[in-house]
Order: sequence, then structure tokens, then C-alpha cells
Amino acid sequence: MASSPVARVAGRIAVPVLGLFWLAVTTVPFLFMVMTSFKSQQESFSSSVWALPEALDLVNYRSVLEGPFLTYFKNSVMVVVISVVLIMLISAMAAFAFARMRFRFNDALFGLIVAGMIVPIHITLVPIYLMTRQMGLYDSQFALIGPYVATSLPISVFILTEFMRQIPKELEEAARLDGCGPFAIFFKVFLPLSGPGLSTIAIYNGIMLWNEFIFAYVLTSSTGTRTLPLAIWDYQGQYTANIPAILTVVTLTSLPLVVAYAFGQEKIVKGMMAGSLKG
Amino acid sequence: MTSITLSGVNKSFGANFPVIRDVDLTIEDGEFCVFLGPSGCGKSTLLRMVAGLETGYTGQIRIGDRVVDKVEPADRQVAMVFQNYALYPHMTVYDNMAFGLRQAKTAKDEIDRRVQEAARILQIEALLDRMPKALSGGQRQRVAIGRAIVRQPKVFLFDEPLSNLDAALRVHMRAEIATLHRNFPAASMIYVTHDQTEAMALADKIVLLHAGKDMLKHGSIAQVGKPLDLYHRPRNLFVAGFLGSPTMNFLEATFVAQEPVGARVVLKSGEELTVPVDGSTLAAGAPVTLGVRPEHLAPVVGPAPQTLTRKVSAVEHFGEYSFVYLEGGTSAPLIAKVPGDGGVKAGDSATYAAPADCCHLFDADGIALNHI
Ligand SMILES: Nc1ncnc2c1ncn2[C@@H]1O[C@H](COP(=O)(O)OP(=O)(O)OP(=O)(O)O)[C@@H](O)[C@H]1O
Ligand SMILES: [Mg+2]
Repeated sequence: MASSPVARVAGRIAVPVLGLFWLAVTTVPFLFMVMTSFKSQQESFSSSVWALPEALDLVNYRSVLEGPFLTYFKNSVMVVVISVVLIMLISAMAAFAFARMRFRFNDALFGLIVAGMIVPIHITLVPIYLMTRQMGLYDSQFALIGPYVATSLPISVFILTEFMRQIPKELEEAARLDGCGPFAIFFKVFLPLSGPGLSTIAIYNGIMLWNEFIFAYVLTSSTGTRTLPLAIWDYQGQYTANIPAILTVVTLTSLPLVVAYAFGQEKIVKGMMAGSLKG
Repeated sequence: MTSITLSGVNKSFGANFPVIRDVDLTIEDGEFCVFLGPSGCGKSTLLRMVAGLETGYTGQIRIGDRVVDKVEPADRQVAMVFQNYALYPHMTVYDNMAFGLRQAKTAKDEIDRRVQEAARILQIEALLDRMPKALSGGQRQRVAIGRAIVRQPKVFLFDEPLSNLDAALRVHMRAEIATLHRNFPAASMIYVTHDQTEAMALADKIVLLHAGKDMLKHGSIAQVGKPLDLYHRPRNLFVAGFLGSPTMNFLEATFVAQEPVGARVVLKSGEELTVPVDGSTLAAGAPVTLGVRPEHLAPVVGPAPQTLTRKVSAVEHFGEYSFVYLEGGTSAPLIAKVPGDGGVKAGDSATYAAPADCCHLFDADGIALNHI
């Protein structure tokens, strides 16, 4: 690419400046959240918003953890893990069929599933609520799994189908010559080779579902069945003005994602890129 | 019995014009058969049909005395080596070779014995624990062959197995494949290539395929035979021009008369030559094409019968031999491949003998006239 020296210097300055700016935009609220969670209610009112906490006071954490927080946490983990596993399995199988099998309506069906991405979940709320009631699943954690899986499938199938189309045809043929039927080809060749694609959808959907609010709000009602995003909502009512307590809940809720990111950063970034770069 | 028979095989993709037409072919027990032809002539397609990877053809394919048209690839007792090797990237070399046997529920110690044996033959024992991405091209090639060997197939299928290797390694692996064939005398081999050197070096039998108009007119197979048969007795212009490098010189000529020793023809440039073929079906004055290979043109001094005299337009020296480019009479220059430096330079006039035995004559349809 030809570029003038001026443009090059400008670029060399602009990129880090914009990067720092964006870093500030994203970390400032985060720092505010963590710092405030260590302050007492009084301190949060009296001190400046940006003042460091006077002491590392864990009182908020203690009171939050003594409440039903752990139940919410457990529910979240369960719902998200089961949903993500189901999403990976179902979308991988569907993607294999779309990417590798020839059948009538292959393209039409794929188009239809991908079109599911443009349906706003809000218009499905009432029917899903009614269906859940009729199935007797209302106010149980399992009520969430169905809608979670269903709404995550279009994008997941889309990503994995593109991914599997990149796997060389010869590998499939070699497997056929080695005596594999469609199931063995899927489980022994395509599934292991789709690792980066699968981690992309696991991470993407895991984050989305960990933070999911609307379905959880509509389909569950009691403390024993609700998930973390609703906990924040609940605490907001319970601690009306106790901002440090609410921010403690938020901190604790985002902690697993932060930890996961810190340890899996490389994998996550690779996973996100996997669809675009030929592995 | 591991002969392979294709009878009346035709194949087209979708509504397109046919890719394979009227193939009747028998590959004998233990024979090394090479499918040769220009790009896109359907070599791979034909090979994949034998493997069972390509269906939807008409005609019949038999392996041994079994009709395999409806038999799954894995049950045909064939093993295939792909051009890009197609090793499973997530498995070690050992597992790559063992995979097919495990699928077939072979006993563990039997699998181990066969994998070790194949590794020994191919000298890849030290690589068994590596992943494919940690191998060089030549090593991957060996693993791909190893994966074929362990299955103890009746038929080995190779689709351009050497085309991803560099020139030196290609010659080396070519020799190894020849050795492999000697080590498994009972198995038949079909080997696809577009490299005539590979074909000449390896084949017991060459199946030369052609594409496009020729294929529509004469069927996919241009000629089948031993390498030297195709070289010395090409059946038509396509075969004559495809084999040999540089390619055969073609000169337009007119048929004069048939004599006991052969057909007498006169070139556009006036020389009269006799070619020992049976031209009795031709009328005097019929247009024909004379073919003579560059390596058969021998320098002579002075005008003599059965010679061509031309102006030299360029000379290329290769040390051991030289290419002398001669102008006149044809659209493409005539080439003579002569020993040493050829003794001529651009601008000279030079005379070359076209020995009668080495001349070919093709009729107006491009079909070779039979030698007498
Ligand atoms: N799946 C397919 N669908 C449509 N056309 C195809 C398909 N596979 C091959 N063809 C066509 O069939 C013809 C023969 O293909 P094939 O791969 O057998 O050629 P080839 O002789 O192996 O050529 P190369 O030397 O380039 O590998 C080509 O014209 C190709 O475009
Ligand atoms: Mg090919």
C-alpha cells in the first residue's frame, strides 16, 4: 500500500491514542464498580466517586454471599453449561449436514435457519411463556434451556457450517475409504477438527447466556430458580439505595467471565478469528 | 484376482456435457496402470469411480470378479493416496495409519504389527508419534502411503501423489513407488498423473485420456498400451503430440503414391519422403501430416534422400545435447534434438535425416496409418 509519510506518522500516533481512549472507556466503569464494592454505604455517599476505598472492607461481599447469591450462581452455571453443550452438539450436527451432505432443500433449509437470526426474541416471549406454562416448566431452571438453545442455534449453525465447509473434502473421502459412515465421519473427523469453531460458539453463546435477562425474567419467578442477571434485579429492589451492595453483586457476576478471559484470552481471540482465517 | 474391468463407463456432472465417455478398460492382476492426460480430462474422476467416491455413472466396474458399482468404498478393498495426502490433522502418524484398521475392528496386536511393518518399509518408524503438521512434504507422502499399505488392499489408487513435492524428491519418491509395487506384486495399482515422465518411468500400461472435442468424438481413451508402444506407435495426432518432450514435429504433406516399402509423400517445401505405412486407403493428393520426433532427426551433410534442409533460427545448448530450431514450412518451428552442441549456429542452413522407421503418417482425421 502506498501512503504518504504524513499519513504514516498520523497513523502511528492515531492508533495508540485511539486504543488508549477505548481502554479508558471500557475500564473506567469497571474500576468504578470494583472500587465501590469495597466501600460502605456511607462512604460511597460521602467520598468522591473516584476516591479509593478507605479500607478493603469485605462487608458487602459477606452480606451478599450470605444471601441467596450462591443459589443464583449455581442456577446460572447449570443453565449455561447445559445450554452450551446442547448448542454445540446440535449446531455441529446441523452444520455437518449443511456443509457436507447433499439433500434436497439443503440450501433452502440453511437459509431458513440463518434467517432465524433476524427474529427479535421479544416477539417470541408471549408464545414461549404460554408454551412453558402448558408444559408445566414455568418457574424452573429447565424452562430456560429450551429458549436459550433455540435462540442461539441460528448464529451457531451459521458459524459452524462456514467452518466445516473449509475442511478439505479429501479428509471426508479418506474417512469413507477407512470405513467410516456418516456418524463416524462426524464424530471422529469433523467434530475434533471443528475445535476452534466450537470454542467460538461456546464462548460467544456462553457470554450471551450468562448475561441473558429477558427469558429468565419471564420464565422464572422464585429465588430458587432464578439466574444471576435477575439477582442483580432482585438486589436492586432489596437494597434500594445500597449502591455498593448492588455493585458487589455485579462484580461477582462478571468475575467468572473475567477469570475465563484472563486464562483463555489467546484461545478466545483465536476462536473468534477461526471463521475468517483458514486454519 | 485383482484385475479391474471398466465396461461402457460414462459419466457427466449434472446436465453438463460428459466428462468420461465410453471407457472400456481392463487392468490386469498386479499391473501398474497409469492414467495420463491433460488437466481436466477426467483422470481423477475415473480413479474416484474405481474407489467408489464418485457415483452416478452408467456402465459397470468390476474388481476381481465382483461388480462393485453398489459397493461402499471401504468394502472394495482399495486404498487411495490423495494428492494433498489428506492425513487426519488431529491424529498422530500412528493413529493415522491405524484408523482404518480400528474402524474395521482389527485386533490390537495385529494393528500394531501392520503399522510397525509399514513404518519399517517406509522408514518412518521415528515419526510415529508426530502430528502431520510436524512433518515435511516427503514424510507426509510416506505416511499417506503407509496408511494405504496397512489395509493390505487389492488395489492401490494414487491421485497425483508426487505433484506437491519438489523435483528432486519427486524422482526419489517415484523410485520408492516402483519399489512398493515390486513389494506388493499381487496388488494392482492405478496411478494418475499429468506428468509423462512419471508415466513412462512407472507404468506397465498407460491409459492416455483426452478431453474436449476429441473425447466427444472418440471416447475418453485416446490410447492404451505399454509406454514404448505409445511412444513408438501413437494411434493419433493427440497421442503423438502428448508424449515426448519436446513434442513431435508435425509437417503438412500430400500423399503421392503407395509403394511396396511405404507411402510416398511430398512436403509443402518440396522434399519427398517415404514412410513405411499402409496408405492404400488414401487417394493421391490427399492431405496428410508427417510426424517425426526431434530426437530422431539426425544431422547429415549435404542433400540426400529422406532429409530436410532448413535454416537454423536458434540453438539451445544443454551440454549433453542441443535443441536446434529450424524455420519454414510449419507454423511452429521444427526442432531437432542433437548430441553435443549440434555443430550449427543461428542463420546456418542445416540438413537432417528423417529415418523412415521413425516417421509417422496421419490422415486428414489425425488417425495414424498402420506401419508395415
Ligand atoms: N463435482 C464436480 N462437478 C462438476 N464438474 C466436475 C466435478 N468434478 C470434476 N468436474 C469436471 O470434470 C472434469 C474432469 O475433472 P477431473 O478432476 O477428473 O480432471 P483431471 O483429469 O483429474 O484434471 P487434473 O489433472 O487437473 O487433476 C473437469 O472438467 C472438471 O471441471
Ligand atoms: Mg485430478
